[in-house]
Formats: sequence, C-alpha cells, structure tokens
Amino acid sequence: MSIDRRTFLQRGAMGAALFTILPRNVLGKMGGKNSFIAPSDQLTRGIIGVGGIGRSDLHFVNDERCRMVALCDVDQKHLDSAMEAAKAKWNITPKAYHDFRDLIHDPDVDIVHIATPSHWHGIMSVEAANAGKDILCEKPMTRTIGEGKRVEEAVKRNGRIFRLDTWFRFKDTFYGLGTDVKPLKKLIDSGLLGWPLKVRISGATGFTWKFFWTGKENLEVQPIPKELDYDLWLGPAPYKPYNVHRTHQTFRGYWDYDGGGLGDMGQHYIDPVQYFLGKDDTFPVKVEVDAPQQHPDAVGIWRKITYTYEDGCQIILEGEGFESQGKVPYIEGPKGKVYKGFECTIPNIQSVINELPDPEPRCTDFLDCVRSRRQFALNESNGHHSATIVNMGVCALRLGRTLHFDPKTQLFINDDAANRLVNQPMRGDWGKYI
Amino acid sequence: MYKTIRIIMAAFWLLAAMSVSAQDQRQRKPETIVQDVLAQMPTQNHDDFEREIGDLAKGAPQTVTILCRMLQPAEKACNNMVEYAISGVVSYASGHTQYAGAVRQAIEEAVSSAPDQTAKEFLQSQLRLIASDSKAIEYTAHAGAAPYAQLYDDIKAAGGNCTDIVLKALKSKDRAYRMQALKLAADYADDATIAKVCKKYKSLSDEGKEDVLGWLGDNKAVSQLPLVLKEIEKGKATTPMAIETAGRIGGDEAITALLAALQTDYSAQALNALKSVKGDLSQPVMQALQEATGEQKLALLSLAQSRRIKAVTPVVLEMVESNDATLADAALKALPGVITAGEVDKAASLLDKAADSKVADFQKVFMAAVNDLAADQRYSAISKAMKAAKNSARLYPALASTATDQSVSDLQQAWEKGDAQALQALVSSTNYKAAAPLLKAAQQGNEQALSAYVGLVETHETDADTRTNCLAKAMECAKTAASKTRVLNSLGATATRNSFILVGKSLDDKEVAYTAALAQKNIARKCLSDIDYKMLQADMDKCIAILEAHGKATGNPDGVYAVGEIKKMLAEVKPSPVYVLTEEEQKAGFEILFDGTNLDKWTGNKVGYIVVNGVIYVTANYGNESNLYTVNEYRDFVFRFDFCFTKPGVNNGVGIRTPMGVDAAYYGMCECQILDHDDPIYAGLHEYQVHGSAYGIIPAKRLKHKPLGEWSTEEIEVKGDHIKVTVNGEVILDGNLREACQGHNVAPDGSDTNPYTVDHRNHPGMFNKTGHIGFLGHGEGLKFRNVRVLDLSKKTKK
Repeated sequence: MSIDRRTFLQRGAMGAALFTILPRNVLGKMGGKNSFIAPSDQLTRGIIGVGGIGRSDLHFVNDERCRMVALCDVDQKHLDSAMEAAKAKWNITPKAYHDFRDLIHDPDVDIVHIATPSHWHGIMSVEAANAGKDILCEKPMTRTIGEGKRVEEAVKRNGRIFRLDTWFRFKDTFYGLGTDVKPLKKLIDSGLLGWPLKVRISGATGFTWKFFWTGKENLEVQPIPKELDYDLWLGPAPYKPYNVHRTHQTFRGYWDYDGGGLGDMGQHYIDPVQYFLGKDDTFPVKVEVDAPQQHPDAVGIWRKITYTYEDGCQIILEGEGFESQGKVPYIEGPKGKVYKGFECTIPNIQSVINELPDPEPRCTDFLDCVRSRRQFALNESNGHHSATIVNMGVCALRLGRTLHFDPKTQLFINDDAANRLVNQPMRGDWGKYI
Repeated sequence: MYKTIRIIMAAFWLLAAMSVSAQDQRQRKPETIVQDVLAQMPTQNHDDFEREIGDLAKGAPQTVTILCRMLQPAEKACNNMVEYAISGVVSYASGHTQYAGAVRQAIEEAVSSAPDQTAKEFLQSQLRLIASDSKAIEYTAHAGAAPYAQLYDDIKAAGGNCTDIVLKALKSKDRAYRMQALKLAADYADDATIAKVCKKYKSLSDEGKEDVLGWLGDNKAVSQLPLVLKEIEKGKATTPMAIETAGRIGGDEAITALLAALQTDYSAQALNALKSVKGDLSQPVMQALQEATGEQKLALLSLAQSRRIKAVTPVVLEMVESNDATLADAALKALPGVITAGEVDKAASLLDKAADSKVADFQKVFMAAVNDLAADQRYSAISKAMKAAKNSARLYPALASTATDQSVSDLQQAWEKGDAQALQALVSSTNYKAAAPLLKAAQQGNEQALSAYVGLVETHETDADTRTNCLAKAMECAKTAASKTRVLNSLGATATRNSFILVGKSLDDKEVAYTAALAQKNIARKCLSDIDYKMLQADMDKCIAILEAHGKATGNPDGVYAVGEIKKMLAEVKPSPVYVLTEEEQKAGFEILFDGTNLDKWTGNKVGYIVVNGVIYVTANYGNESNLYTVNEYRDFVFRFDFCFTKPGVNNGVGIRTPMGVDAAYYGMCECQILDHDDPIYAGLHEYQVHGSAYGIIPAKRLKHKPLGEWSTEEIEVKGDHIKVTVNGEVILDGNLREACQGHNVAPDGSDTNPYTVDHRNHPGMFNKTGHIGFLGHGEGLKFRNVRVLDLSKKTKK
C-alpha cells in the first residue's frame, strides 16, 4: 500500500492542483459531487488528539481530496467518541490508535495531523518527519525554542511539507482588528509609514489575551480517570500528580504543557505581524516583561511584553490592566499610524494601497502543497520564527527579567537559566525522539 | 552517625544564622526573612521582586534551606507560596550569579530530604536552572526518512559543489526527492548553477519542468526569464507555472508577456500574476487596452481597477457609456478603482442620470472620486453636486461618508421629512452626532440603525457610565437575538455597576444567555467592588450554569476557564461589615442613619442613591435627578459620615435644614459643598465653592483631598446660625451665617442682587428653623458610608 501511495505522489497531479492561485472554484470540483479523483489518488490523514481542535468542524473532516484513515488519543473516551462520529458522519471506521507512534508509522497515513497539547508538538513533528510523513500541526508550533529549531531541521532534512495551523497571514480578517493582513502588508512594504515600526497587540486593537486561561496553584491530588493514560498524556512533561485541571482544555494554564493566553493565542496574533514586518527570517534581539511574579507551574497574568528587533522595530503585547487612553494605534511609524479597521493617518490610504502590487502569492492550499511539494505559506521555518517570539516571552515571564537573544545561535545572550528554558529536559527516554 | 550529622548541622546553623543577621540590613534572622518574603509572595512588580527575593538570595543558603524544608507532600496542596519563593530565588540567583552557589548548595542538600517525589522533582527542576555545568542537552541523531535525509546530508556536505548531486536528483521519478534537491540548492543558486540546472530543462518531464520553473521563481532568476517566457508562449501544461514565475520575476518583458497571455486560455492565471508583478504597468496596460478586443479588454479593466492604473481613466469613462453592455458593465465595475478627484463632476452627472439598476455601482464611482479629494473639500463638492442633481438622494451615501457635522444634520433633516434613504446613509456615518437620529430610528424598530448606534457609542463614548446609559437605551430597543448580542458584547466591555445590572437581565433570556454570561463575568471581574454581593452571587451562579452547559454542548474551552475564573473571583469577595456606633457616640445619643444595609431612614431619590456592599453609591442612573433626604427633620445636630471619590471632579453637597425638592443652597439653611476641587476642571472656582463651604455664604479653608478611592471622614455641626465643618479631623469651616451676611439673607431692596452675600444672591432659606438633611447631587463617582446623626434639639428637650 505504501509503495502504491508513494508512486502516486511521484506521479503527482498536473495542472490544476499545482497552480495555487487559481480560483478556488476550479479546484473545488475535485472534492465535489462530480469528483474525478480515484480513491488510490486521494491523500490520507491521521489525526493525533481528537478531544479538542482535532474534533472541531474545521478539522474533523473526511472528503475525497483527503480521507481520514486513522485517529489517535490517549483518552479512550475521546477516541471512542471520535470513532463514533466518523461512523455516523461518513460511515467509515478509521484505524484507532492509542500510541501516536503507531499512527505515524502506519503506511496508510500520508499526512500526520497533530492536534495535541503543545508539549507534544515537537516530538510528534520530528518523529513524523523522520518517518517520511507530511505534517499539519496546530498552533502553537512548539512550547520551547529548542524543539522548534529541531522540527525545522527535521522537516527540511527529510524533505517534508509542514503546515503550521494558523492562517491570518494569508486569510480572513484578523480577530477584532477589522482588516485582513494584505493591505497592512502592502502599506508597510510601501514604506509610507516610515521605519522602524511599533506594533501594539492589545484589547484596544482587537486582540484579547484570554487571561482566564491561567493555571491553578496547589492542585489537590485526584485519582486518574480509567479512560485516560495519564503517563502517555504527560509524555515528555515532568511527572506531576493528576488533577483534572492539568489536562483536557485547561492544560493551557500550565507551563509544562503550554503558556496560557500568550502561549496558546500568541502565535495567532504575532505570526501575521512577523509576516508584514518582513521578519520571517530573523528574531527579536530583546524581550522585556512587566508582570507579577510567575508561579513555576501555573501560568499567571502579565501586563506587558515588549519585543525589539535589531533594526528597532517593536512588537508590544498589552495585557491585563491595559486601559486605553483614547484611540490606540495598531501600527505606529515615524510617518504615520494605522488603527483598528485599517483607519490610517495617511489620507485616502486605500487608493494609495491599490496602486501597489499585491504581495507575492504563496501556496495556501496544504493538499496542493503535499502534491506539488511546494512549501506552504506558513511552514516549519516562518512558523518556528513566530513560535519563537511567543516562547521568548514565556522565558522572560518565567524568569521575570529582560532577556537578550542572538538570532544566529537562537540562544539567549549571557543567561544560562534562560537557555535552559530554550532546551528543556524530557521525562524518561522521550528525549530520544527529538 | 545520623545524630552526629544533625549536631554538626545545628552548629553550622547557629553560625550561619549569625552571619546572616549581620548581613541583613534590618538585622533579621533567616526565619524572619523567609516569613517576611512569604507574606509578599507573589510579588506584583519587578521592583518588589528584586527587593524581596534579593533578601532571600542574600540570606542563602540558610533562607533557601528553610524554604525547602517547608515543602509539604503533594496531597496537602499548600506549597504555592513556597514554590513562588524558591523559583523566585532561583531566577534571581541565575541573574545575580554571586548568589548562585549558595542557592544551589541549599537546594542540592534539600533534594534528598524532599517530602515526596513531586517536591523532589520540583527542586530538581529548579536546580537545573542554576546548575553549575553549562552542558547542553544532547539530542539523538536520527536516521531520517530515506532517501531524503541522505540527499540532505549529501548536499549539505557538498555545499557550493552540490550542482552535480542536484542534477542527478532531477532525474528521479519521485517528485518529493527532486523538490528536496531544488529547495536545498536554493542556498547555492547563483546564475551559473541556475544555468546548469536549466540546461537539463528540455530533458525533464512536464512535471519536472514545472518544478524547475517554480524554483526559478523562488530564486527570482532574471537570467532565465527568456526560458520562462518561451514556456508562456507555447501554451501547454507548463504554462500556468511559467506565468506564475514570470509574475514573480517581474520587469518590463515579463509584463508584456503576461499582458499577451491575457488573450489566451490562461488569462485567469495571467491576470493573477499581473496583480502582484513588480513594475510600471501604466503604459503597457494603456496600450494593451487600446489594442485589445473582447475578453482581453475585460481582463485589462479588472487589472486596471485592482492596480489603480489612473492612466486609463478617460478610456474607462468612455467605455462606461459604450453600447456594448458587457463592456460597459466591466468598465463600470473597474471605474471606482481608477477614478480620481478630477472627475468628481463627471461622476456626479453619471450617477444622476444612471438607470435605477446601476445606481449602486455609480454611487461607488462617485464615492471613490470624492474620497480622492482632500477631506475638507469633500462636503462642499458633494453639496454642490447635490444642488445640480435631479436625484440628489443618490448622493447621500457619499455625503454620509464625509462624516462632517453638516452632513449629519443634512441627512437627519431629510430623514425627519420622511426620506428613508437619508437614514440608510446615516447608518454608515462615523460622526458621533449621527447617534441621536440613529437611536430614534432604532426605537422605531430599525435594526441596522441600532447596530450603527452601538458602533458609534463604542467608538466615541469613553466615559464608562455614560456609555452604559447609551447602551441601556440600545438594549431597550433590541428585539432580535442578533441585536441583543450586539449590545451585550458592548456592555461586556463596559464595566460598570449599571452594565452589570443590565446584562443580568439577559441571563434568563435563552437566546443570548451564553453571550450575557461571558459579558457578565467580564464586567464583574473589572468592577467587583461596585457590585452588591448578593446580586453578584446570584448572577454568577446563573453564569456558571450557563457556561458549563455551553461547554458541554460545544466543547469550547472558554466556558470551562470562565467558570474557574468566576469561582476564584467569588472566593475573594466578602460581604461588607455593618456599621455600628462607637461607644462614645452611643453615650452621646447618636443615631445611625445608614449602617450599610438599607436606606430606611432616607427618602427621595433611591434610584440615584443605592446601597452597594455597605456603602451608599451615587450612580449615574438615567432619570436620576433629585436628591436624597433624611426622613426626619433636624434643627441643631451633629452629622457624621465617610465619603470617597471614585472619579475625578465629583460634585455633591449636604443640604442643611432644607425642604425637599428645592435648591438647598438657597431655600435651605445652606448647602455644605462636597467637591473634588483639585480636579483641573475647577481651575476657575470661587473660593466660596470649595469643599466644605456654606455655598455662596462662607468659604471653607481649602483642603487637600485624599487620592481617589480613599475614604475621608466628615462632621457637620449646626447650632442656631452657627455651622462647623471638620474633615479628617481638620476644621475647615467655623462660622455664623447670620453674621456673615450681616442679617441680610435677601437683598434689602427686594432685588435679585444681594450685596451682603459673597455670591451676591438671595438665600431665602438661610434662617430656616428646621429641615431635612440631604445629599444633593446626581453625578456618579461618589460613595458614602457610616452615616449617623446626633439630634441636639431632642437632647435639650430631654
């Protein structure tokens, strides 16, 4: 089976599937009623983690372009319920796995979809890349800078197609900002705002930080539910006694698995900024935090995180307690400002923007990328860069101090403790997977 | 053996404790330092952190050892403060390395005696952050996926000499393998390498050719443009990719070729490429448009629009009036993209004479032309056009888009005369003055107007209380789930007591309960102390039920987090105390007028004055315009209360011996000012208006108010014509009203001007023998508590 699949991939699909800026209605026919894709030519996908986003309408999908052939979860209830849903929706019985390694190494799986809490993203991505699988990974890409670096290396070395799943850099209006990213990108590229730029991500510019995604201190020890393989749920994370709040949904409030609103939403908000600032191939050199002291286990709130690039550009995250005095600019340059809703201090900006060429098109259909082997618009490289911005903030928060970063080595400068958060030890022998 | 160690340890401790107390500036023992620091955990800002945790670090290892010994087994679940302190000192010592050794030593020693595995792992994780060896974590080398990993290793090893490997890889039938080679070669893709790859181009399959074409685009290979352009001309399987690549490489030649491709079957792809191609399109497009026929003309119009190629505007204006309907339509669609300020008049006349079915399109054209004018010229240009127009209503949307005051009043007038199109235009206005007519329309059931009204309020109304009042009016006319949701979301971002009350009403409305619950939680979080405890408790119970049900139904984690947040919030709230008289007051015969629970001894405006968590809260409730009075009347008395400003510029007053429903400053004995006179808005204040003054009669000594949110005490003593005001123990007014105006409370000549009072006004009530005591004012931002009175007249009677 695996040879057959590979042969197909070698053959590829000419014409329509390749040219990604074709109108979608042309490609849409492929998955429609009059589909001409033979089952052997379909791609296949296995989902790891079907309790949250992996079970959402957005991702729990089985169609003729890509069939859902395997599901995996360490919570038997989640797995059973997903299997039932697959049966009810499409009358299919995907293979059910408990251990993600079995799903990754299943020769029937072309694409590994990682929808677990983020402490697994690094290990699973590297393992999938080494197994020759293409990868769709939910944001945030990884929970440490070191893991992200190794995912990028593994994907490149194994010639894989990797999609990081957030999309605002190329699609949709951007949370409460009231505009999509394209006009912002054109405006910034035009140089009309001057340089360097300051970007403020705050409630006042349309981005809520989900501060209630915090952890609890002093968790009481609870019995582990029968259906949950807690040991495998924790995997590389340090062993801590079970409490329901650590796991499903609320895991975001603990540093061991994620990083609260910043860790979980940060990449959604920051990735498009990195894109329009043209910083996809570099990192900030400094991160400053203003926050109450953080608990070593439970994520707390923060007031402000400021990133500075070498050229002076800044990304400022305004957090808890930020009260706007009047209108707050989203982007501020020496020659102009942009507010929510693409309101700009430069007159008649829309006409000015229209005279500029669109940004260079990128491939934004993941399945097309898998076929044509062209890089996806948000991939292992720029994805690792924006995840690193988030993770730099996490390190500075946890240590409670300003940190300086070397974009070349991807390590903090003269700060051993911070660098120990860049590369963290893994429990048991999980470290061998990354 | 064990005992010996303990003895040695104890000795070490004693010595250590002494040495620490010598170091600590406040001469504290390590135990005391630890206790002091724990009481401050977690620190709220960097300075506190540096100071508190710095103390711990300076006292290490003893302080850290004490902390480590305080760790309890996980079941007890009480370690958080100790964990804050230990992780804090570890972080501090990792940044102030002179302390790292001592902290490390203490934690190392503590690991073996940790109470359980959890504590042990915690200590080890902390130890790792300040470990002395800086050995990096070693990672496993993976074999990787054959043959790709091998190819990667080979190309990396070959570096700049990788061309042969790449050329060989291109022969593979595996596309992933070929693309891997090309991607890796990008690092070394100079013109020579690119040329070598392109030499093999002809020998490749169509798919292989596509890969190379895409790669040329990735690398902006200008040198290979001829090859790319040749592929476009041919019109075959590789053409789409060649078109994309030409677009990415750009330049005049590419543009010419892409424009030519508009005439082929690949016009859609060519058009897309032209939208992003870099280079000047004006002349080529102009020329192409003149030469083009049929479909190509339409594509060019679309391009002209999306790239705003103004050179073609006159041609497009002509085409709009063409007899060829398809062409005219395409030109009309393109026109807003290219029209400029110079063609405002032309655009207006086109709009005026447009067929009904085309009005919307010509409005876009006109609007685009107007928007190209400087902002301050737009209104006059439009009103000029409106005067000339037969169908002037067609210009309303443009008029509204100017957002000038004049545009709002023009449209409002037109609407009031019955012109529905004017209202439609007002909906799009960004001028806050449009709020009034929009609200009126909303009250008549217009949903669009309602939504627009809420939008304007959100954008323009910065004062939370005013905004709440505006939204309350909106809520009254919200009838559909969509409208209610719109208002509720806005209320959720407006944290006031009144917004809480308002949103609370929607918790029982099934259609919008989830939205209301999230909004209510957000409001409560931001103005917790302003919400009455019982009301908070009741509403939050409802919210929890709603959020839990929603979480179960949808799997959305927001509900679960919100419930956790609510529970945490409720745990922190405590019901307020009930105020009682002091022993001294009891003896003296004081009576409590407000003990924190009810306003039974008060009458008058109980909408604007309400009881919240033990205080009288002066609210900004709409329709709140009268005063609050004591039920009883008083002649001579001592009146005591606490007051607190929560907003700058608060203005209120205490009415003395006043009838109800009149201006106490003139028809009562006097009004004793309550005023945040330090606020800059009162810069021009008369001295008889400052806090404590018998308004208009005797000025008080100007006191310095406490910061917002802090409580002050006040006592007003009235005996006969004498009044004495004491604030925070300081007497600021002590005088006789009759003497102050030399007995002339009204002008002797019967006129309105009284030379005997400092405000030159008549004060007919000044010599009232008795009357109510009242709080006079209806501006929010003020709280009273613990109000009591001593009736001196009663006492004398006794």
